[in-house]
Amino acid sequence: MLEVREVTKAFGGFLALNRVSLSVERGRFHALVGPNGAGKTTLFNVIVGRYRPDGGEVRLKGRRIHHLPTPRIVRMGVGVSFQRAQAFLSMTARENVMLALLGLRGGVYRGRPLSRFRREAERAEELLGWVGLEKVADRVAAELPLGDLKRLDIAMSLAGDPELLLLDEPLAGLSRAERRQMMDFIERLLRRLKLTLLFTEHDTDAVLRLADRITVLHQGEVLAEGEPEAIKNDPRVVEAFLGGSHA
Amino acid sequence: MRALLFALVLLLFLPLFLSRYAVEVLTQGFILALFASAFNLVFFQLGLLSFGHAAFFGAGAYTAALLVTKAGWPYLGTLPAAVLVAALLALVIGFFSVRTSRIYFTMLTLAFAQLLWAVVHKWYAFTGGDNGIPGIPVGALAGSAKGLYYLALLLLLLGLAFLYALDRSPLGYALRAVRDNEARAEAVGLSPFALRLLGFVLSGALAGAAGFLQVAWQRSAFPDFLYWTKSAEAIIAAILGGSAHLLGPSLGALAFVELGAFVQARTEYWPLVLGLVLLFLVLFFPRGLVGLFGGRDARG
Repeated sequence: MLEVREVTKAFGGFLALNRVSLSVERGRFHALVGPNGAGKTTLFNVIVGRYRPDGGEVRLKGRRIHHLPTPRIVRMGVGVSFQRAQAFLSMTARENVMLALLGLRGGVYRGRPLSRFRREAERAEELLGWVGLEKVADRVAAELPLGDLKRLDIAMSLAGDPELLLLDEPLAGLSRAERRQMMDFIERLLRRLKLTLLFTEHDTDAVLRLADRITVLHQGEVLAEGEPEAIKNDPRVVEAFLGGSHA
Repeated sequence: MRALLFALVLLLFLPLFLSRYAVEVLTQGFILALFASAFNLVFFQLGLLSFGHAAFFGAGAYTAALLVTKAGWPYLGTLPAAVLVAALLALVIGFFSVRTSRIYFTMLTLAFAQLLWAVVHKWYAFTGGDNGIPGIPVGALAGSAKGLYYLALLLLLLGLAFLYALDRSPLGYALRAVRDNEARAEAVGLSPFALRLLGFVLSGALAGAAGFLQVAWQRSAFPDFLYWTKSAEAIIAAILGGSAHLLGPSLGALAFVELGAFVQARTEYWPLVLGLVLLFLVLFFPRGLVGLFGGRDARG
């Protein structure tokens, strides 16, 4: 589904990614882990087209995408959710999702009021139902708590019926109880939708529970890649990143 | 809604009871209202402070003035050309400016407008230089105080109706989405550059229509139409009235012009009074006159 080959990215003299490769297979949940500064978010931004790599390539379903801007990439069936829950704060939850639906289908250049887009309104209702936000559909996003904003962010990511979902630290900023809920929610939803997932996450429990495969980044390079069990027992990884808590 | 209808009926019949001078002052208020509303499309919907909107106002004015005086067009027939030239100018300036943000956008728009002002100010052979283009024949309708009043009111209402429709359309939401969160906007397939440029061009076109009206109001075109103080008038009107409401800039423009006429008839210290009014509003009523009257903000 997604191939990252020998990707290099530098900022001035700092080498953020050094010949990083990874392959995300269709239907798998692939985690990208590593400490702060390992290059996870940089790689995430390269994949979604926010940064151009200095070397290497990114392929989606066999097609090179690393030279494309983000709006083109997301229209190719990639849902994106950023590290900090991001919504359009001046709009209601429903309007956020409706705009995502229209934006991903190139339909924003139409004259009639947004409120008259019945089909999009029904679909938005459905998506908000999937993420459990139907009761706050008409609340302005600025008034929603972080957990709801993250769910809204995921609902917007799903608006284009993606095959691949990219989540950058979906649990960041949540309390312990909220993390558990969010993990359950992501697993249930994405397995039901049969999506392919690439996500970055600091929470070791979440990574080991959700991921089918893990790539470990360290100082901009791939340190290890494999099944969760193998990664969990890899002494280099345990020593450097998992802090021994799961060894 | 009732208050709006009442205001509209009042504006329709007001010229029958007012002096010529009062009608002319109100007309000037409508022209500034259209200009300020155009500016506010970029200021509020896109979240960008343009200090160069006088360029589009001036482009509309000089297009009308030059077509009438040099090509013999009837004044009213120059409106589409004035709007088109202002829109094209906005396309060029916007192409370079909307890529930048915040202070760089403000400085670039100011620089472009001042550059154009300098050209118009010195190009005696074509624009009349600092003498401007005086004595423009604008026809019987636009040449009468009441005729121009209704023409300006009509264009203002059309402009506001367009902005109202835009505000509620997916395009209006998309413009605000880019303002709210550029990264998120891109991740739902929106192109911030294309949307900002489109918003800027629409705003420039409306400002051009205001410039077109100004030619009839003064029967002349002057380089001052492109000077930075003209851009500042739109900014002041939008802040005075309340930029978050569709009618805020219009209310601010009418207050600015009416208050200006009232104060200037009594004292030479109009800028001082204006400064005090602005200070009071910004400090105590940051939502502007609309907030003072209890009007609810539009989206955002």
